[in-house]
Amino acid sequence: MAKKQDYYSQLSIGRDATAEEIRQAYFEAARRLHPDKNVAPGETELFIDVQEAYEVLSNPKKRARYDAILPSEKTPLLPVEQRILFSRSNLLHLDEPQLLYALLEFSPKADASQSPAPPLNICLVIDRSTSMQGKNMDVVKSTAIQIARKLKAHDYFSLVAFSDRAESILPAERGADAKKSEARIQMIQCSGGTEIFSGLEMGYNEVLRNQRNSSSNHIILLTDGRTYGDEEKCLDLARKAAEKGISIRGLGIGSEWNDVFLDELASLTGGSSMYISRPQDIQRILLEQINQLNMSVVEETCLEFIIPEGTELHYAFRIAPNPSLLPMESPIRLGPVLKDNNLQVLMEFVVQSAGENETVTLLDGKISVTSNNLETKTVSFPLKLKRPVKNEHSKEPPAPEIVSALSKLTLYRMQEQVRLEVTAGEYDRAAEHLQRLATQLLARGERGLARTALLEAEQISQKKSFSQEGQKEIKYGTRSLLISGERKQYGDLP
Amino acid sequence: MVICPNCQHKEISGAIFCSKCGAQLVDMNVATHKINTAERRAAEGITGGLKSSPPSTLQSWLSLHIVESGQILPLADRTEFTLGRMAEGQPIVPDVDLSPYNAYANGVSRLHSAIKLVNNQVVILDLGSSNGTYLNGTRLSPYVEMPVRDGDIAYLGKLKIQLLISA
Repeated sequence: MAKKQDYYSQLSIGRDATAEEIRQAYFEAARRLHPDKNVAPGETELFIDVQEAYEVLSNPKKRARYDAILPSEKTPLLPVEQRILFSRSNLLHLDEPQLLYALLEFSPKADASQSPAPPLNICLVIDRSTSMQGKNMDVVKSTAIQIARKLKAHDYFSLVAFSDRAESILPAERGADAKKSEARIQMIQCSGGTEIFSGLEMGYNEVLRNQRNSSSNHIILLTDGRTYGDEEKCLDLARKAAEKGISIRGLGIGSEWNDVFLDELASLTGGSSMYISRPQDIQRILLEQINQLNMSVVEETCLEFIIPEGTELHYAFRIAPNPSLLPMESPIRLGPVLKDNNLQVLMEFVVQSAGENETVTLLDGKISVTSNNLETKTVSFPLKLKRPVKNEHSKEPPAPEIVSALSKLTLYRMQEQVRLEVTAGEYDRAAEHLQRLATQLLARGERGLARTALLEAEQISQKKSFSQEGQKEIKYGTRSLLISGERKQYGDLP
Repeated sequence: MVICPNCQHKEISGAIFCSKCGAQLVDMNVATHKINTAERRAAEGITGGLKSSPPSTLQSWLSLHIVESGQILPLADRTEFTLGRMAEGQPIVPDVDLSPYNAYANGVSRLHSAIKLVNNQVVILDLGSSNGTYLNGTRLSPYVEMPVRDGDIAYLGKLKIQLLISA
């Protein structure tokens, strides 16, 4: 039996048809198919179908509910399924600003999960400044050797070390002499400062040189220090990398590195930054990252959009995988979709004022999905987020997925607020805010993190500043609350 | 405009959480009071008479809403319940066995807390559990009764339970 058509195709209208268009289409179809008029056998059944379609689509509430469960139009092509949830099914008729949340979710399809991951093209860019000396560098070296050993024959692996200038330790090649490579990694010496741009640029060129149509391209940057003066150049390079389909992941070791910068750098490319507080965690986190690269069903999801006048995209955050703040300018690289983890992105919109009986468009744009599972490599489809305006809120509570994500995200955002307050010199408010955060953390059973928050609150009231370490611990600690359940262990590489 | 009931901070209409204190601003409407007796999973393991008893004089006065899984366990027929986790080869059996709800992983003790109905007031007390009982974020001192209001959130270790009072 042929698959039943969706209501929109039954009425031969687009998904974004207005109420008037739906009505017109229905009348037209009804005139043609009415039992008194129709000629061909089976048309009476069609007439019933059309009526059913109209009944749902003409009622905005029913239509919204139907839209929510409707698979996206290009479903048969895509290796992922898209789902959109809103915090409210409608906006309120209101003259003051109001908030609305939308959760975009992309989940891998069962058959896509079977297909093998594309060949990797990775460059590890390692900070070898003086401060890395000792345990940090030892663990990094041994992990790099492990990665080199475990990658598959079709993968490209290169390694760049940088301090004031960059040096290519392993040029990107396949099936390099393992013994020689390992010896070269062992010989890395620590000295000098941290100039991220030189390392990043060399890493970028290594990856670019071996980029194939089918490869999945990544730079993993490991640093423990701050770079001075070349931040802008780095960010420009990241934008360029994003356009070429190269992602950057930033791993910061210890407390001295600039997390705001690394976050921005990574999020421009769909990657994220991670905090490594102790040297013994370097190996686990690095291997986890490499493993994740092997798990992708979709290598990159990119959202291009415009926000209409009167609406503002106020906040965008990737909930899973790798929770991270997203840039709010089009295009946003949302990151990969993994085999065992849905991609979830939460967006907060502020609507300035909503007139009666109008439909407010929150966002108008398109999603491009890049995957090796696709014949054309990249497929785009439109994405339009809009909500009707009514005089009353619907009785339904917000989608539980949104509430659950927000319950944790709120804590992360409280921490962001505290940072802003400290920067603005509002120390008392910051300290109070941190105490409230501690209360919430305690309620969740996060005692260690709550303690850190309280200690920092004290530090702020007395010394008028965060401690580097506590600041990062709270930031990445609240962020990791979003990783649902227990920490996922990826185990060894295949 | 929405005003946070906890800290009086003003939020834009449509907010779900307070940005100042992190409190939830939206009622999730989970308090379903229509309860199907056949679904009394909590009652398994309690005295057999409980399941088959007809609607008695003492109606279900409290329901436990296991927040993580969304299940609602109605409690009825007596005025005192102990909550905990059944373990093999152990003589003490709690009235309400929470092991189907990941009690072990959440650090629920075998005899963790008790909930009582005293003079029409519902109270909760900790039974000396290892990981503690929290009511609305505050840890209870062991064996001290604390009054409970409808919709309060209790944590048994890390297991989050909302207490819905129907009496």
